[in-house]
Amino acid sequence: MTSRPSRTCTVLSNESMGGGNFCLRLEISGEWARSSPGQFVMLSPVAPSQFCFSDPLLPRPMAIYRTDATSSGSGIVIDVAYKVVGRGTALMRAALPGSLMTVVGPLGQGFTKPGDGIGAVLIGGGTGIASLYEHARILSEHCRTVVLLGANTAEMILGRVDFEGLSLELHVATEDGSLGSHGLVTDLLPSTLEEMPCSHVYACGPTSMMREVAAIAARRRIPCDVSIENNMACGIGVCLGCAIPLGEGKGFALVCKDGPVFDCRTLGWEDC
Amino acid sequence: MGRLLMSGTVDAECLMVDFAGLRLRNPVLAASGTFGYGLEMQSYVDLEKIGGFVAKSLTLEPRYGNSPPRIAEVSSGMLNSISLENVGVEAFIRQKLPEVPQEALVIASVFGTEIAHYVEACERLSSEDRVAAIEINASCPHVKSGGIEFGQNAQILGKLVGQVRSSTVGTLLVKLSPNVTDIAEMARVCEAEGADGISVINALQALDVDLKERRSVLWNGLGGLSGPAILPVALRMVWQCFQAVSIPICGIGGISSAEDALKFILCGAQAIQVGTANYLNPCSTEAIVGGLLDYCQENRVGSIQDLVGCLQPPRWKVS
Ligand SMILES: Cc1cc2nc3c(=O)[nH]c(=O)nc-3n(C[C@H](O)[C@H](O)[C@H](O)COP(=O)(O)OP(=O)(O)OC[C@H]3O[C@@H](n4cnc5c(N)ncnc54)[C@H](O)[C@@H]3O)c2cc1C
Ligand SMILES: Cc1cc2nc3c(=O)[nH]c(=O)nc-3n(C[C@H](O)[C@H](O)[C@H](O)COP(=O)(O)O)c2cc1C
Ligand code: FES
Repeated sequence: MTSRPSRTCTVLSNESMGGGNFCLRLEISGEWARSSPGQFVMLSPVAPSQFCFSDPLLPRPMAIYRTDATSSGSGIVIDVAYKVVGRGTALMRAALPGSLMTVVGPLGQGFTKPGDGIGAVLIGGGTGIASLYEHARILSEHCRTVVLLGANTAEMILGRVDFEGLSLELHVATEDGSLGSHGLVTDLLPSTLEEMPCSHVYACGPTSMMREVAAIAARRRIPCDVSIENNMACGIGVCLGCAIPLGEGKGFALVCKDGPVFDCRTLGWEDC
Repeated sequence: MGRLLMSGTVDAECLMVDFAGLRLRNPVLAASGTFGYGLEMQSYVDLEKIGGFVAKSLTLEPRYGNSPPRIAEVSSGMLNSISLENVGVEAFIRQKLPEVPQEALVIASVFGTEIAHYVEACERLSSEDRVAAIEINASCPHVKSGGIEFGQNAQILGKLVGQVRSSTVGTLLVKLSPNVTDIAEMARVCEAEGADGISVINALQALDVDLKERRSVLWNGLGGLSGPAILPVALRMVWQCFQAVSIPICGIGGISSAEDALKFILCGAQAIQVGTANYLNPCSTEAIVGGLLDYCQENRVGSIQDLVGCLQPPRWKVS
């Protein structure tokens, strides 16, 4: 039973989001399993027939930033928000509307629901913010939702305008002080948790940020989901390349299959 | 993509092959370590439409692998140092095997750090009906010889194959290590010791450097190179083995299209395995089956077996 074959998709647009971030809009025709927030796709910026000629060769994991209905009603549109950091993302950047790409997904385990649903805090940095948008959108319809975003400069905060369009409380921190509070986004977390009843913290960003978030949440005994990034080859649990340590003697988890979202207590942070 | 190509191709006669005592629906198998235990791939590939798959290499006991980073990308290929990570023979038999669809052909792959471990694992696996064949992975360091791979020393390889042969009832394949001076010698050793076929090749030992860190890109230092980058090396080795032995050869190395598969068949491979290409497109194996069928139909090839080893002599020999 082949239910999730790799799919050819068409680039609808590929525009700047400011601050060196871009948004790739992809139309996928036909059936597409509904994704849950925090899941990702494996994306090759070439058509399936071109795989073996493409350089780089391996597909790249990308969070599903947002999903939308297509104009025709069949299929789905997915947005991928990304930053150019190397050859794969440079190829993505070069893609013109109308060109074909290949996508496998949706993959992995997304965010869990907040326990008693009183309130949730989402905290994101860098391109990690891309994993949080759908989750923030859905949570904000059900409970008090506070989103904390951080970057070097105001312009670099991925998708800030989109978050501003949601009915939630948004606070930003910039390292140059150009917007919001001056400093790291993790500095905002303790006071936020002080001020509101919170049943779950969700984080995605650089490892150092998530480690700090995990520690703060643990001190307050608040459940905390983190979304982890790692190099991937297959994205579907067969190459064992994306393993991360679960702590001394506890073996490994696969980021693509067991994650990318993990309960922060299950991870061996000292080795991450 | 592959789905459309595949319609009506189930058991197309022109693709059937006899390989080392196995009757394969078609010559396209998935390579060990790139297809999990088969179950993980069911969402992407109809396991009953490909020739079969070689499951992730098993050790007697479950093992954890190396620390990250375990993989890195290089030009037209990738490096990996997953090491021995697997669920172990018993869990494979109890938990994985019963879940595999009946019509799928399963080849179990075995490795160990001592000959006795290989022997015990093969004994246990060959008593399972669902295991159609056993492939022994000779690219594992032999602890007693100071870490040299079993497949790198003809004497050690001979001893391994001989002992495993006497404890394995069904089809026994030996997967050769390419990290040798003379692959044909290793093929001959396998034939002499009673292997039913050889799988050629495993990943090539390699290294890449992270310039910022001035360190290997992999935690483990060295890794195995796979993907399109190794295809010409693998073809050369298959061809050399084909000259050297009469047991059947399964060609492996960088295959990602039907054209690639045909090259291996012309060089003497009766079947082929698809590895890294499963990562690029999880539907690769099925798409390659479709491509081979198209080729046979377009070129009026009655049986793909007729092409095995049909590589023409080089031009300079002809003129
Ligand atoms: C589950 C998951 C979801 C992801 N979602 C997104 C997303 O929505 N948007 C997005 O832009 N990225 C996302 N990433 C990261 C993205 O996959 C990588 O940035 C991408 O693979 C880099 O490919 P490249 O070929 O451009 O870079 P490479 O040529 O592979 O690397 C170039 C340089 O960038 C560095 N690099 C590689 N990966 C990262 C990274 N994750 N962060 C920072 N530096 C990196 C490398 O160390 C290297 O120095 C996600 C990763 C995972 C695992
Ligand atoms: C991540 C990874 C894991 C692998 N694990 C195994 C393994 O467990 N046993 C084995 O015999 N070969 C293993 N291989 C080697 C492949 O089966 C194959 O021989 C090799 O990759 C060359 O083929 P390719 O270029 O088509 O990938 C592995 C390869 C990769 C890339
Ligand atoms: S990327 Fe292959 S197992 Fe996770």
